[in-house]
Amino acid sequence: MTASATRVIAQPKMKKPGLSWPIILIGSILVVVVCLFPFVWMGLSSIKTLKELYSVPPIWWPAIPTFDNYYKVLFESNIPRYFLNSVVISVGSTGLALILAIFASYGFARFDFKGKPYLQAFILVGQLLPTAAIIVPLFITLRVLGLVNTYWGLILVYMIVTLPLSVWMLTSYFRAVPVEVEEAAILDGASRLGVLFRITLPLSLPGLVAVIVYAFVTTWNEFIFALCFATDSSVKTLPIGLAEFSTEFNTDWGAVMAASVVMTVPIALLFLVFQKMFVGGLTAGATKG
Amino acid sequence: MKSQTGLLFVLPALIVLFMLIAYPVAYTGLLSVTDGNGHLVGFKNFAAVLKPRVTTQAFINTIYWVFGSIVFQVVLGTLTAILLNQSFFGRGALRAITLIPWVVPGIVAATTWAWMFHTEFGIVNYMMTGSGVLQSPIGWLTNKDTVMPVLIAINVWKLFPFVAIMVLAGLQSIPNDLYEAARVDGASFWEEVWYVMLPSVRPVITAVTLLLVIWGLNSITIIYAITRGGPANKTLITPIQIFRLAFESFQFNQAAALSVIFFGVAIVVVFIYIKVLSAQPGEAK
Repeated sequence: MTASATRVIAQPKMKKPGLSWPIILIGSILVVVVCLFPFVWMGLSSIKTLKELYSVPPIWWPAIPTFDNYYKVLFESNIPRYFLNSVVISVGSTGLALILAIFASYGFARFDFKGKPYLQAFILVGQLLPTAAIIVPLFITLRVLGLVNTYWGLILVYMIVTLPLSVWMLTSYFRAVPVEVEEAAILDGASRLGVLFRITLPLSLPGLVAVIVYAFVTTWNEFIFALCFATDSSVKTLPIGLAEFSTEFNTDWGAVMAASVVMTVPIALLFLVFQKMFVGGLTAGATKG
Repeated sequence: MKSQTGLLFVLPALIVLFMLIAYPVAYTGLLSVTDGNGHLVGFKNFAAVLKPRVTTQAFINTIYWVFGSIVFQVVLGTLTAILLNQSFFGRGALRAITLIPWVVPGIVAATTWAWMFHTEFGIVNYMMTGSGVLQSPIGWLTNKDTVMPVLIAINVWKLFPFVAIMVLAGLQSIPNDLYEAARVDGASFWEEVWYVMLPSVRPVITAVTLLLVIWGLNSITIIYAITRGGPANKTLITPIQIFRLAFESFQFNQAAALSVIFFGVAIVVVFIYIKVLSAQPGEAK
């Protein structure tokens, strides 16, 4: 970084700060192995035959990589349907959360109104609520509304999980857009909504991406609400499908590992592509308070 | 006029959250003091749910689970953050890799680790017996002494990246003159960590710890997917007990009573924590 560069130039005689390189090297290798080994093992297990999986001692590299497990997962199970359900629910819930969060954050960032601090606190309380404590009443509410086992049921419920933090992150992004820019546009005759959509949103694109990635990843991975509110295979999501594979007494580990790969790849790709913006959005909220 | 415009912007989100949070919370309260037909029964549900020994055990397990996880998450996360804050080749890639356990679905983490900890065919037992650490394979997930530590380790693996990235953000906002002052005084690297870095990131660590407490109290996925609370209720934590009461034995009212107790305890913990947190800064600086 430039900061450390100037530090070294400004005080050339001082010893170079930081860890020595062997420690950095060992630490880095350790972190990489700890973080990635389970995925390597997952990938290797998914291309082994049953015999190779159940061998003692375990075989590192399969003699002939097989794609039977993937065939089983993709063509002989409900996983493709669950994949579709997951996509519909995650996209729907992320989209809805984004729209609500955009308006709410803009309201919080740009206006002053009665009870604003309390309303902001109320939104954060959503993040503090123990999930287990509201599953039962939520289930009953959804049943009354006829939303159990529907896409809309899960899409709505996921608002509780994603909306609070989305509002929180976006508010800090909107605050960072200079008010003067908006005022100039209003003087030129633009409406409030026009300002929001033509000026503020384009200027906070990194924040929007961070919120989208956060909401999508969270809903894609969510397990408990899906387990309770989606009991029919027409709405079950991928995490439930994976759990189904592994709860039976004779767990087909090859298929489980293949399904895990199928489930992880989209999320890993999404994350790696937008990694910088995502982390920026998260930590912006953390350091600004 | 202006005040109304602001409220209009905020209203849709508030309505949705109110419907999904305030209403269910109030409804839980109602359920906890009624029976299946909606008649008021006072505190009968509370008595019924508090009586079995399993409730106490689940409560102790929950404390063990939450605090066992947090200690290691914070220590390992902070150490990783200090490493990621150094400048070296490949740092960007290492930062991205560190975050992967946190991003992958909890259920994937659970099943993959369950396979790795498999008694007969698991890679963990193979590595440990092969290297001579263990004489014979251990049933990590079936032995009642090892199952909770193993689940805690998996939970730590899943969430230490989050601590690392948050603490890293805190480390990056430390002004350079603090380091320079320390260096003028001839501080070693570890003295710098102790006297400059840790005090500066203390607010971040406290805030992150609060989040971890809440997530710990909420986390069902890993335990439910691997053991469902077994063996012999050794890993049964209160959230899973609530879930099983409601959706396996269909005792909605007792589940609601337990939810109210759990909710109350969680609120008290969070409240005490926030008190302690807001009392700290004056004394810290």
